Amino acid sequence: MKLDVNALGTFYRMAREGAGLAAGRLTHMTDVETQVGVTKLNFMRGQEIQRDFEDATETVAVRVQLSGAIEGYSMIVFERESALRIVETLRGDSDEIDAGAETDDGEFDEMARSAATEVGHIMNSGFIDGWADVLETVIDVSTPEFVQGETAQPFFADIEAAPDDDDLALLFQSRIETVDTEVGFSHYLFPRRDSMASLLDRLRTSGGIEYDKLDGFDRMAERGAEEVAQAATTMTGIDTSVEIRRLNFVSLEAIPEQVADEKLVGVAFEFDGLPSGYLLFLFDEDSAHEIADAMVPMDVDGDGDGFGEMETSAITELGNIMASGFLDGWANVLDTTIDHSPPEFVHDMGTAAVDPVIIQLGETQEFAFVFDTVVVADGQEFDCEIYAIPDEDDLERALNDLDVDRIEGTPTTAEFQDVTNT
Amino acid sequence: MKTYGTEPGAPTSVQVGISELVVSDGDDTLKSYGLGSCLAIALYDPDSAIGGLAHAMLPDGDAADNSDRKPGKYADTAIRALLRRMVEQGASYTSVEAKIAGGSDMFEFESFGDGIGQRNIAAARAELEKLGVPLVAEDVGGEYGRTVEFTPGSGRLVVKTADESADNGVTEL
Repeated sequence: MKLDVNALGTFYRMAREGAGLAAGRLTHMTDVETQVGVTKLNFMRGQEIQRDFEDATETVAVRVQLSGAIEGYSMIVFERESALRIVETLRGDSDEIDAGAETDDGEFDEMARSAATEVGHIMNSGFIDGWADVLETVIDVSTPEFVQGETAQPFFADIEAAPDDDDLALLFQSRIETVDTEVGFSHYLFPRRDSMASLLDRLRTSGGIEYDKLDGFDRMAERGAEEVAQAATTMTGIDTSVEIRRLNFVSLEAIPEQVADEKLVGVAFEFDGLPSGYLLFLFDEDSAHEIADAMVPMDVDGDGDGFGEMETSAITELGNIMASGFLDGWANVLDTTIDHSPPEFVHDMGTAAVDPVIIQLGETQEFAFVFDTVVVADGQEFDCEIYAIPDEDDLERALNDLDVDRIEGTPTTAEFQDVTNT
Repeated sequence: MKTYGTEPGAPTSVQVGISELVVSDGDDTLKSYGLGSCLAIALYDPDSAIGGLAHAMLPDGDAADNSDRKPGKYADTAIRALLRRMVEQGASYTSVEAKIAGGSDMFEFESFGDGIGQRNIAAARAELEKLGVPLVAEDVGGEYGRTVEFTPGSGRLVVKTADESADNGVTEL
C-alpha cells in the first residue's frame, strides 16, 4: 500500500465535504446553529486512539458499517452530556439536561437512545454522502448501532478494521460544534486496510510513499517529543512529559485554526536539511512567565503583562535547546543532518505567528504534514504546543530514503504519562 | 468559518478565515483574526452599502492553478472576486473604494527573502491600481499581528494589534 500527497489531499477534501453536510443536516434536524471545527487526517496508533476514548468521561457513539467504495466503520462520537443535550433539543424540552432521558442507573432510556441514534445516523450519512460526492461513487451503509461506554472496549473490540495497539491507522477526524453552546461531536472513520489500499491506488498520481514507511514518521514524532521534554526538564527543573503527540495531514489554512485565539509567547525557527521546514514552540502567557521564573529565579523586570529582557532571553534560550533536541531526534531516526536558524522570539496573537510559515510553504504546497506535540508539567503551568511543519517534497524524499528495518531496531523510550494537571 | 443555520435578516458577525472572502451589506461585521503576514482586503461601495472582506494569504493567483477554486487565497484574484460579487449584488464599480491591513513581517528567516508580508501588500496595491479602485486607507507592515473588523455599511475597518507600544492597540480606518 502506497500513498502520496494527492491521495491524502482527496481524503482531506472528503473529510471537509462530509463534515459540512453532516453539520448542515444536524442544523436542519434540530434548528441549532452549527459550525465545522478543525478537520484533519490523523495517523495514530491503536493505543493512542484508545487513550482518546479513555479520557475519563463517558462516551456515546453511533456507528455504521460501510461497504462499496469504502469498507470499514464510520462513527459519530459524543460526550455523554452532549448527547443528552441534543436529545433534549429534539424532544423540545428546555428543562434540565437530566429531565428523564436517563433511567436510574444512568443508562439512556429507550426514547433517548433512539433519538441519539437517529441524530448520529443522520450525521454519519452526511459524512458518507460527502465522501461519495468527492469520489463520485456509491458507498452503502448498514443500520446504525448505538454504543455506550467508558473505555475503548465497547467501541472497537469487535471492529476488525480498528488498528491493533501498534498499528498505525489513518483516521479522518472532524469536529462539529453548535454555536454558543457546549455541544461538540467528533467523527472517526476506520477504513479496512485493503479497501484503503485500492482507494489509494486509484487516487495516487505519483510513485508515493510506502505505507509502512510512515512508521518512520511516527518514530520521528516520538523521538522529537521525547528530546523536547528532556531538554525542558533539564533547563527549567520542572518535570515535564509528553501529553499529545500526533501526526496530522491538513490543508495549510487549517493550521492557524487550531491555534488558540489569544496572545501567546513563541519561539520560531526555520530548519534546513532533509527535511527542511519550520518549527514553532508556543506557550500561553502564564506558562511563559512560570518558565522564565524557573530559569531566572530573581524577581526580574517582568511587568505583569509584558516580558522583559531577561524573561525574553530565558524563553528564547529554552526554545533554542528544545529545537536542537527535537531536530536531533528527527535526524537520528532519518539518519540525516538538520540545521536550524537562530531563534526568533514572538509575543503576539498566536495565529499571527503561524501564518507567515504557512504562507511561505503555500507558495509550493497546498497541504502539510504537521507534527503536533503538547508538553505539560505535573502540577505546574507548563503548556507548550509544538508545531513542526516540514517541506512536503523534502519529507517525502527523507522517508523514501529511510530504511524501515533500521528504525525497527531503534529503542523506543518515550512513554505517555498520566498528568493530572488541570 | 461557515456557520450553518444562521437566521437571515439580523445583523451577524461573520468570521472570514484564511483564504476566504465574504460579501455582505449593511450592519453585518466581517472579522479576520490574528493576521500576521496575511492581508485583509476590504472593498465597499459607500452608495449601496455593499462591501466585502478577503483574508488573502499569497500575492499571485494568476500564477497558481487553483485560484479558480480558491480566489480568496491570493491578493489579486481575491480583489477581482470581491469586486465581481459586489457588482452582482448591486454595487457600482466606479464608486468602490478599498482599505487594506496586515502584511507584517513577523520573522526574518532566510527562506522568507524580502518579506512575505511586503509581497502581499505590493500585490494588492498593484491589482487595485490596475482596476482603478482607489486605496483610501491602509495599516500595513510592521512586525506584529492584527485582528480586523469590517462593517460594509459604513466602510469602517477597525484594526486591533497586540503591539504594546501602539495607541491602545486600536486603529480605525
